Amino acid sequence: MNIYRLLLRLAPRHLRHKHGREMEAMFREQLADARRRGIGAAAAVWLHALTDIAAAIPRNLLDRWRRRGRVGVPQERQSLMIGSDFRYAWRSLNHQRFASLLVIGMLALGIGSTVAVFSLVNGLFLRPFPFPKPERIVYVNETAPKWNLDETGVNYHDYAQWRRDQKVFEAIALYDQRAFNLATDGGADRMQGASVTTDFMKVVGLQPIIGRNFTQEEDAPKGPLVTLIGEAVWKERFGGRSDVLGKELKLNSRVYTIVGVLPKAAEFPGGVRLWVPMQGDPNTNAQSYGATGLARLKPGVTIEQANADLVRTQQVIFDTRDKEKVVTPFARDLREQFTRDFGTVASTLGAAVSLLLIVACANVAALMLARALARRREMGIRLAVGASRARGLRQLLVENVMLSIAGAAAGLAIGQWAIQLLITSLPDQAPSWTTFTLDGRMVVFTIATSVATAILFGWAPALHAMNKDVRGAIATATASSTAPIRGRRTLWALVVAEFALASLMFVCGGLLVRAYDRVRNTDPGFDPSNVLTFTVAVPGVKTPDDASGLAFRKRLVDRMRELAGVTEVGLISCAPVSNCHWGTFYTQENAPPRGPNDASPVILNRIASPEYFTAMGIRLKEGRFFNSSDGSGGPDNDSSIIVNESFAKLMWPGDGSAVGKRVHAGSGPPAPNRRIRWLTVVGVTRDLKHYGLERPVRPGVYLPLPLGPRSANTVVLKTAGDPALVAAAAHAAVREVDPEIPAYDMKTMDERLTLSRSLRAAYSWMLGVFAVMALVLALGGSYGVTSYLVSQRTRELGIRVALGAKRSDISRTVLKGSLAVVSIGVVLGIAGAIGAGRLLASLLFGVPPYDAPILTIAAASLAATGFLANWLPARRAARVDPMVSLRSE
Amino acid sequence: MKTREYLILLALAEADLHGLAIARAVEELSEGQTRLWPVSLYGTLESLEGLGLIEELDDPRHRPADESEKKRFYRLTRPGHRALAVETNRLGALVKIARSRLKPRPGRAA
Repeated sequence: MNIYRLLLRLAPRHLRHKHGREMEAMFREQLADARRRGIGAAAAVWLHALTDIAAAIPRNLLDRWRRRGRVGVPQERQSLMIGSDFRYAWRSLNHQRFASLLVIGMLALGIGSTVAVFSLVNGLFLRPFPFPKPERIVYVNETAPKWNLDETGVNYHDYAQWRRDQKVFEAIALYDQRAFNLATDGGADRMQGASVTTDFMKVVGLQPIIGRNFTQEEDAPKGPLVTLIGEAVWKERFGGRSDVLGKELKLNSRVYTIVGVLPKAAEFPGGVRLWVPMQGDPNTNAQSYGATGLARLKPGVTIEQANADLVRTQQVIFDTRDKEKVVTPFARDLREQFTRDFGTVASTLGAAVSLLLIVACANVAALMLARALARRREMGIRLAVGASRARGLRQLLVENVMLSIAGAAAGLAIGQWAIQLLITSLPDQAPSWTTFTLDGRMVVFTIATSVATAILFGWAPALHAMNKDVRGAIATATASSTAPIRGRRTLWALVVAEFALASLMFVCGGLLVRAYDRVRNTDPGFDPSNVLTFTVAVPGVKTPDDASGLAFRKRLVDRMRELAGVTEVGLISCAPVSNCHWGTFYTQENAPPRGPNDASPVILNRIASPEYFTAMGIRLKEGRFFNSSDGSGGPDNDSSIIVNESFAKLMWPGDGSAVGKRVHAGSGPPAPNRRIRWLTVVGVTRDLKHYGLERPVRPGVYLPLPLGPRSANTVVLKTAGDPALVAAAAHAAVREVDPEIPAYDMKTMDERLTLSRSLRAAYSWMLGVFAVMALVLALGGSYGVTSYLVSQRTRELGIRVALGAKRSDISRTVLKGSLAVVSIGVVLGIAGAIGAGRLLASLLFGVPPYDAPILTIAAASLAATGFLANWLPARRAARVDPMVSLRSE
Repeated sequence: MKTREYLILLALAEADLHGLAIARAVEELSEGQTRLWPVSLYGTLESLEGLGLIEELDDPRHRPADESEKKRFYRLTRPGHRALAVETNRLGALVKIARSRLKPRPGRAA
């Protein structure tokens, strides 16, 4: 009831005075009535009553405004005087134009960057997948710690077992990304696609726009060649016509029939444009891992339960095929899976931008406080001549709101622009299903925070001044020219906070930039300059056996050699930093018997032509590269291989040279009665950063070309000049060799390296920018505060000058105080940064958080900033003309 | 005239009432369609009083005996009665026009 009485204070005053009691009584009765009908009804009554009061507010204001002047009491008390409030506000903001722009700019920077980064984080982490009930979709894969693999990919045989036996999923499906050559009138196109099991659409919960899903029969081994096309392909190639069903597409030189069209949302995990049935054979026991699983949980089933059930179903396989329990299935939240790599980055950016928002708010607070303190005198005079306190507060409120709105508008513009910039700086790295737009909730939150800060701090001193009696207010305003101790202390605290946070961000940003530099200067293990790479997609029907495969590649390489500017032509199955991996196992000759729990790391396997090594600029540690006779015995005979340093270390630790030693394929000793194909090491290369500059190197093996010519599909061209100039000629040459085979993914190795660094480049750059922004904010804030304090001391300084103080003395006095404050902030901030650096360790690429050059640079820049911010006002103070300053009071 | 103003006048045409009683009468008259909440009720009463359509009973003699002293009772004034009659006629005419226009016309498919 008391609450209602309080709320009634919002109602028109005359009503309240006259009818207050009755209104309360009425509400009491209404509430009592409603209570008898239950809590819901009571809540409804409260809601109605609140609306009732709120509805009266605008009418009340309007009435008062209309009635102004008609009433006998002084105008000030009765009217809202909106017009004059805005006029005054505009005048005073315009009068202190620089300070106003400073506040607007600070607000805009803080709001803009916060909004942009949170939109990014939101797009990556918070926006749901475009499927119905996406929270129930889980990612399924298998893990094999003994193979040194977190994720092996799903084995079809295992999948078939889960599907038969599982009890926790509504549906479980596999998908595997595949690329197709799509025959067109002019030649061939490369198109991303996926092979999926029948239940895939059931898992993601999508239906074809037209046509139907794959049937169980179509998904059986040797089933018919059918395809579902994506909405994009349907529109581009078939003009979105409904007679597309039953039409044919020539994929990988085989004819597929279109049975349906899937909506855009199905293009998961991005870039998939058509689908074919997986047609896996559950009866083969092949040790082939590579598909990815997706499953839809039954309602109420947790991920833990799903995991337990998967392991339970796997028991059959543990009992038969995998007695050592090497490969274990697991399920994981889908979003968690797709944002794993971005987790630390996003939280770092989030933290950085929150800090920036805090700095911006502290800054605005300081500036508003300084502004308000400076106007105590004006307020005091207004009070003295009869202005009401409410009027004064309202006037300040109008000003602050005007500033805030301007700042927020500019901030949103900056934010929108920054998002565009961020999107372009994150090219192929972000998952492609993400969309980045300004998020409404975020915008509201950010603006509310900064506007609240502005209003609160703009008001605080005014409230303080207003609470005293009028005489006191004028007295403080006129007699003493220096800010009250309390106000000054708050100001200094804000400056300390600003500098502390700015140095924290500066150090963290600096560390990341340094880490980026270190990554950039990491030796990749090959020579990326003047190397062009591209991949040809040769369908199986074109080269049915190794001999024809080898012949085709020979033709291709010969044609490439003829191109002007090409000095070397190599072939490789899997180029460095191209996101590819093919793992197998090897065992060394006379290997000690392996215990069931011994690790058996996966070896990166590649097929390379002799020229590949020189074309890629790979360095030899010992032995030799391949020559044309290596592997000439074909896949079934003994051969020579080249291994990397890590492989040599793994197989023969501390055992001298690896050259001449022998290994055979497979994990563990071979079956006693089988002929062993021995592979002799002829060369050891330096380690090469195959998975990216920041990823660890795996032990690796190169097999000579004749051992698997049909997987060596990436062509490596070393050129004499700019490799990009060869690109068009290379395209044409491939078409000349076979018009149905497209060359795709054509990039220089420099481009691939840049691409592999782009995520790090993006966030390091962003943090660097944040650090500079924090510095600018600190500069602005500190400048504002010192200027204010100096202007308040004009009279004191004037007296000092009049009494004979030198100008240098004056500026020293001013500087000394503020620099002490700045250094407290910097010291606190750097201490904090060393702590924060530990949290960043995973992103720092080995740069220690107490990296001396960065700390020195940070301390120096911040000190310089602090000096600059204070020196200008100090200089102005020193120029004070005692006559003017004394007269001005 | 606003619906709630009309309903208040209508309620006061039957008897002199105080605030809460007016709200209840209005709810009854409107068959639950219009519920008045304190601020809007007293706001409306004020404006009707300002227009001279209703007046406050300040003479205790006119008050029914069983009601407590604190409550303000209102009564319809002569202009109030007139305004109610005029508004009732206006609404009646309006309803008549509307009815004649909304009759299903022959010859046009439904």
